[in-house]
Amino acid sequence: MSGHPGTCPVIFDPMTLPADDNVNDYTFCVELKGSQWFLQKGKMIAYYGGIEFNGIGHGPLDHLVQASFHSPLHASDWVVAQGSGKMLLADRAFDVNSFDLDEGNLTIRSGNLLAFQPSLSLKQSIIPGFLTLIGTGKFVAASNGPVVFMEPPIRVDPQALVGWADCPSPCHHYDHGYLRGVWGGLRGLTGIGGASGEEHQFEFVGAGTVLLQSTETLMSEQDRGAVPHEPGVPGGGASHGQQQGATRLPGQLGDLSRRFGL
Amino acid sequence: MFRLQDSKVLAVDMTGDAVKAKNGSMVAYDGQMTFKKLTGGGDGIRGMVTRRLTGERMAVMEVKGHGTCWFADRAAEINLVQLQGEKLYVESSNLLATDAGLRTGTTFTGLRGASQGNGLFTTTVEGHGQAAIMSDGRAVVLRVSAQYPLTVDPGAYVAHQGNLRQTLQSGVTFRTFMGEGGGEAFQIRFEGDGLVYVQPSERDTIAGDL
Repeated sequence: MSGHPGTCPVIFDPMTLPADDNVNDYTFCVELKGSQWFLQKGKMIAYYGGIEFNGIGHGPLDHLVQASFHSPLHASDWVVAQGSGKMLLADRAFDVNSFDLDEGNLTIRSGNLLAFQPSLSLKQSIIPGFLTLIGTGKFVAASNGPVVFMEPPIRVDPQALVGWADCPSPCHHYDHGYLRGVWGGLRGLTGIGGASGEEHQFEFVGAGTVLLQSTETLMSEQDRGAVPHEPGVPGGGASHGQQQGATRLPGQLGDLSRRFGL
Repeated sequence: MFRLQDSKVLAVDMTGDAVKAKNGSMVAYDGQMTFKKLTGGGDGIRGMVTRRLTGERMAVMEVKGHGTCWFADRAAEINLVQLQGEKLYVESSNLLATDAGLRTGTTFTGLRGASQGNGLFTTTVEGHGQAAIMSDGRAVVLRVSAQYPLTVDPGAYVAHQGNLRQTLQSGVTFRTFMGEGGGEAFQIRFEGDGLVYVQPSERDTIAGDL
């Protein structure tokens, strides 16, 4: 770690830079020895040696992409770095950390994933906006503030969720108790009486690890387009499956016909 | 005497000497201090005209007195630089404070400046003494030597010092225009002998998304 308050900054050269480890809280160093890494576009800040950056669509990479990249929607955001040397990665001065997966799986918010080894394979989660990594290898993720590891059963705030490993996908959980009845419905509709802002959580059960960031400020991410319009694909074809009209608030009377199953 | 109070606040202990600091960056002081606005970056009339012409404006004040003065600017991380006769090249917006004994000036950066979106000129600091530069997130200091040239993303470049040559590398190919670029279309390559300061965050540059 460099630059404790009051001391002179540490000067790095290719010999003293760590290999596949953090340089400081915000910068990660990857060592390439003729090997390849996938990284999100524009997260490289500097490198020593000879490293080439190529888009996913680059012909000679076909084989590699076929083996470890299964997320066509994100293809335009990812590049492959290959060559030899040391490369520094960082993302908007957010905390970065590397994690090791050993025959495991991890699902992560797509904006938080910075880079991964091709021994892992990247797939798109069926939860929109999330990516799943499967296999063995190292990946680098950014978070707004240090990452906290929790074990299910747990309910987490949607904005604080970074990802989860090994446990089943989460479900939504709503605290409806206080919105019950006529007055509750009125409160839910008008906001009079106040809402705590914590009525909605993600609920995790089963065995695994949940990764949280220590702020509720989300990292911005680009619009990733939509998954193919197919029956049975969640989120597929944006307008599909929402013909039921506006979202119904808890406690709201709702259309009576629906309530009586007509 | 410069020291870091913490990574975002610079403390300067003064005994009758002076420092030049970014205008309005003082957050606290004890003892006796006087603050004087220096017109045109404190480089004299010629420097003032140059700064006007090049757009490399710098609002600087001179702080003089006995005691301790603390400086900070928009919670940016502060990095101390020790100069022993070398020249430090830094964007004026990233320069927080310098010893009054250091000479500041303006220089042409060529294409690198254009690729950074910071204009074609940059500020130089020269002499013996200390300077404080700011970065978005703590900067990493990388040494460049004859056998280890360094390549830097223009958006993450903060400053460099020493005897370095820089060349702009462009990786723009027809694939870039097909939306299949490597994501690092412009890079600055440093060769020679010196230090480069890189921040863990990328400014928006013209080539940012290529």
